[in-house]
Amino acid sequence: MKTKNIMYWVFIAPVLAALLIVVVVPFVWGIYYSLTEWSGDMAQTPVFTGFGNYVSLFSDPTFLGALWFTFKYAIVTVIIINVVGFSLALIVTSYIKSKNFLRTVFFMPNLIGGLILGFVWQFIFTDIFNTIGEALGVEMLEGWLATPATGFWGLVILHVWQMAGYIMIIYIAYLQSIPDELLEAADMDGASYMQKLKNVVMPLVAPAFTVSMFLTLSGAFKIYDQNLSLTGGGPGGTTKMIAMDIVDTAFAMNTMGLAQAKAVIFFIIVALLSLTQVYYNKKKEVEL
Amino acid sequence: MEKFKWSYAFLFTLILMLGACGNSGDAGGAVSDETEEGGSEGESVTIDLYQFKVEFRDQFESLVAQYEEENPNVTINVETVGGGNDYGATLKSKIASGEEPDIFNIGGPQDYADHQDRIAPIEDSEAADAALDGTLEAVTVDDQVYGLPYNLEGYGLIYNKSIFEEAGINPDDLTTMEDLQAAVETLDGMKEELGLEAVFAFPGKERWVYGNHSSSSFLAPEFNNSVQEAFESDTVEFELSEELKNYIDMQVEYSEQPVLSLDYSQQVEALYSMEKVAMIQQGNWAYPSIEQIAPEVAENSGIIPIPVAGESKMPVGVPQYWVVNSGAEENVQEAAVDFLDWMYTSDAGKEAVINDFNFIPAYEGYDTSQITDPLSQEIYQYSEEGNTSGWVFLGYPTGFAEETFGNNVQQYISGDITWEEVVENSKAYWEENR
Repeated sequence: MKTKNIMYWVFIAPVLAALLIVVVVPFVWGIYYSLTEWSGDMAQTPVFTGFGNYVSLFSDPTFLGALWFTFKYAIVTVIIINVVGFSLALIVTSYIKSKNFLRTVFFMPNLIGGLILGFVWQFIFTDIFNTIGEALGVEMLEGWLATPATGFWGLVILHVWQMAGYIMIIYIAYLQSIPDELLEAADMDGASYMQKLKNVVMPLVAPAFTVSMFLTLSGAFKIYDQNLSLTGGGPGGTTKMIAMDIVDTAFAMNTMGLAQAKAVIFFIIVALLSLTQVYYNKKKEVEL
Repeated sequence: MEKFKWSYAFLFTLILMLGACGNSGDAGGAVSDETEEGGSEGESVTIDLYQFKVEFRDQFESLVAQYEEENPNVTINVETVGGGNDYGATLKSKIASGEEPDIFNIGGPQDYADHQDRIAPIEDSEAADAALDGTLEAVTVDDQVYGLPYNLEGYGLIYNKSIFEEAGINPDDLTTMEDLQAAVETLDGMKEELGLEAVFAFPGKERWVYGNHSSSSFLAPEFNNSVQEAFESDTVEFELSEELKNYIDMQVEYSEQPVLSLDYSQQVEALYSMEKVAMIQQGNWAYPSIEQIAPEVAENSGIIPIPVAGESKMPVGVPQYWVVNSGAEENVQEAAVDFLDWMYTSDAGKEAVINDFNFIPAYEGYDTSQITDPLSQEIYQYSEEGNTSGWVFLGYPTGFAEETFGNNVQQYISGDITWEEVVENSKAYWEENR
């Protein structure tokens, strides 16, 4: 069938229309707003200011702080989530008992909404950690979320706990598709477990790494609800991530244009990073 | 050809459906003509009401139901979204989506300025005539009233009477910062006998507690206690910066630690209500939470003003105002004012305001001996005696209280910046954003 067939367009039109209305149009509109000064009130007309918003962004310490914090956070969580998720997947695809039960358990945190998770973990970090710390005399467990460092690690722990199970499912799918004869052949050749993992399993599940890293990377950048409910950006705005900074700029400070400029920069960064990452991971994949 | 027709038909239906979705949200102030026959009841009116006070939602809704029963032609849709910032943000997005509520809330001059194009003047309102002196100041522009006050609220240091008694402290003597400091030290020395974990619970996580309230007490004198004056001022001087610093330092030093992760529910519920601390800075709105956990502690609570510049005046103010949307249909606007009047001036309304909402009324003609909770009663006494200071924080620039001053204080508490920097940064922000 020729792709330029009218039927082709008829079938694609509904999706195209939806995409146009909810993604493309608001996006272009957003770029326009980023060039204006506007409080978000429909009764007012945005004042065109050119690239003024973008210029002031690069001397805005809160924005740069949030950007840097988000970078650190993304790097740490991408590594930990994938390591933990892959390890969990290896455990539940090995020949241990109760592996079905474990799969369910590991996946469960992902079924709870981020906002609620944040409040649950807030209780764990501030109350339970504190009580345990006092009882055992471990000072490290006291005063969580009251310092920037514990706030950072609190967010990391929460996000890893939530996402590892989800990523695990992706790895499981790929691990199960590895043909047994390849592993058996490796056994015959006297390969150790680590050698099998490195030379047979890893290359074959490389597409899973591509997918998982893309999901975790873009997820780490876009995180908002967990951030809001766990630390609220505190203390002193030091754990405020970029999505939260954008929302605050728009709705707490009433500077819609500036917030939109931040969002455009944010979009460019996430797009660039994700595309680069997918490109490099794709190169590592092998065909059977 | 047959196939073609079907797919076009399908596409056409889809487009129609999309169009239909866009129309379904058309609720704003629509006048329905269903009951046109019932001439005696007048035409039916639907009022969309959007309010922020989560604490009294159930009681408010039952009062609304009562009103609807008495006035069968009026339907009021109540929607509640809580908490300062969240309400403002959701209101904005509601307006942006074209679903403007007919009655909504504003906090003060800044909110008025943001929404002034859609706020109708309140005319022929009994409630506006009955409002207490000064309560309409923040919503009066050129002698025209634009809003009706919810209620009065006051904040200060809520203390546990029996703990104070045991420690031999008379709360009425704590009229200067030195007296307060001495009392705090006494309490701190007797922590073990009194069964306290600390003297204060300073909620470092809740920036509004010090960003709005503490700061307002110490900035009020330089704005002559006037919200309007604060709103019109191009600069802020922090004349009492040293006192404010000492006040915050004292609370942090003698508070349950770590302060920066301490939140409202820990402060009020876990610590104060369980008698683990003697004092907290909060307002009468905290009373229901305390009462729910420990009724005997709640009844045994008192409130004293934060001593400022050697004076002890209770900061009393109006937290929010009701306003009517000028974009709504004429008869909807009238019905909206009628409802608000009924709520604050009819006998049934008054009864609910004082007994069910537990409000301190901002209007004349109430039997104030019916105010049951001790905190509200004390605050009402202060305002009756005129011994009050103003809530100037309602006149701060947007983003000053929490995002600027609040964040800076958090950084000061964690030792990252000095107090001078807190003051400098806050002053700079004020000047830049006025």
